[in-house]
Amino acid sequence: MPPSGSNSVAAVWAILRKECRSEWRTRYGLNAALLFAVATLTAVSFAAGKLPDRTDLLAALLWVVLLFAALASLAHAFVREVEGHTLTFLRLVASPAAIAFGKLLFNLLFLGVLELVTVPLFLILMGAPAPRWGPFLLVLGLGSLALAATTTLVGAVVSQARGRGALFAAVSLPLLMVVLAAGVSGLRAQWEGNPVTAEVRILSAYAATMLGASLLLYDHLWED
Amino acid sequence: MSGATAVVSGALEVEALGLEHFYAGRRGLAAVSFALRTPGAVAVTGPNGSGKSTLLRLLAGLLRPTAGRSVVRLAGRTVEPAERRTIIGFVSPELAFYDELSCRENLVFAAEARGARGAEALARAALEPVGLDTRAHDRVTALSSGMKQRLRLAFALLHRPPLLLLDEPGSHLDEEGKALVERVVREQARAGLVVIATNEEREWRLAAERIELRGRGLGHPA
Repeated sequence: MPPSGSNSVAAVWAILRKECRSEWRTRYGLNAALLFAVATLTAVSFAAGKLPDRTDLLAALLWVVLLFAALASLAHAFVREVEGHTLTFLRLVASPAAIAFGKLLFNLLFLGVLELVTVPLFLILMGAPAPRWGPFLLVLGLGSLALAATTTLVGAVVSQARGRGALFAAVSLPLLMVVLAAGVSGLRAQWEGNPVTAEVRILSAYAATMLGASLLLYDHLWED
Repeated sequence: MSGATAVVSGALEVEALGLEHFYAGRRGLAAVSFALRTPGAVAVTGPNGSGKSTLLRLLAGLLRPTAGRSVVRLAGRTVEPAERRTIIGFVSPELAFYDELSCRENLVFAAEARGARGAEALARAALEPVGLDTRAHDRVTALSSGMKQRLRLAFALLHRPPLLLLDEPGSHLDEEGKALVERVVREQARAGLVVIATNEEREWRLAAERIELRGRGLGHPA
C-alpha cells in the first residue's frame, strides 16, 4: 500500500495534533517563550517608558522579542525527536515530508499563540501607535511564515549533526537576517503610513522559496 | 492473537543483493545476499557488531545502503524503501515512544499518521494481545522496560503488516512475554514473513531458516 496524497494529509494532521498534545503536556517551549517575551517587554518599558514616536525602535523591538522568544522552541522541533529517540517511531509512520510539514504547521501555530499574547502586551506597554491592522497583520503573518519555514528547514537539516546547537545558529543567522530586515522595515512603514508592498513581496518570495526548498529537501532527510 | 494476524494479499518477496553499509567509514554490515519469500520465519544471527540491526534497518528503508540493494516485492509490485513503512512491522531496542503520551495515544497517533480508519479500535486490538490493555491509559514514562517492549510489539502488529522485522524481540521480557513473542512469530510465519535478529537460541529456533552474519562488524575499519 503506497502512501497516497490523502495519507500524507492524514499524517501531517496527525503530527500537528501530536505536537500540540505533547506541547500542552510538557509546556516545553510555550512557557519559556512567553516568559521571555513578557519579561523583555516589561524590562524595556520600565527602562525606556512609552515610545509612541520611535516607530523605528518599536518595529525592531517587536521582531527581536518575537524572534528570540520563539527561537529556542522552533529550533528544537526536530532535536527533541533525536534526543528523545522517537525519530525512528516517527519515520515508521510518516514520510519525511509529512513529518516536516506537520512540524512546520505546529511552529506556525506556536508563533501565532505567542503573537496573540505578545502583540497586545507590546502595544500597551510600549505605547505604540495604533497599527493599520491590514498591513500590520500581513507583514506579521508573512514574517512568521518565513521564520517558521526557515527554522523548521534548518532544524530538520541539522538535527542529526554533532554540535547541532552551534550549527543551527551559524546556518540560520544569515537566513533569518532577510526576514528580520523586511519584517522591521514593513512594520515601520505601516506605522508611518507608507506602503508595505516591497516588504510584502520580499517576505512572500522568501517564504515561498523556503517552502519550495523544503519540498525538494525533506524527502531526502535522514538518509544515512 | 486474532487481532494481530498479518494481512497478506499476495506473495511477499524480500531480496538482498550485495547489501552493505558503512557508518562514517566503518563497516556496519559486510556484503550480504539472500532471497526470502512468504510464508516463513528467518533468523539473522551473528556476533555483536556484525550488522544484524543494520540489516533490519536497511530492509525497513530506514537506512540507505552504501553498496548493493534490497528489493521488496508485494504481489509482484516493488515496494520502494520510502514506502516500506506501510508494509512492515518493526521492533528494535532503539525504537522509543513519546513519554508524555499514553500507550493508547502513541498507537492511535501511529494509526492516524498512516491514514488508517478506526485508529482507536486498531490501538485497542493491538494492546490487548500483548497484555497492555489494562495499562492503555498509562503514560509511556510510567512503563517498565518489559512493558515498553510489549508496546513495541503492539506497534509492530498495529497495521497487521505482511513483513515483521524483529530486532531482539525478547529483550526485557519475562517468561510470559517471551511466550508472546513465540506466538507472534508462529502466527506471522503462517501467512506473512518474519525476520528475527537475535542471538537467543530460543528465538532463532523459531525460524526455519537462518542467515548467519560473519562480518567483523562495527569498530573495525573497512
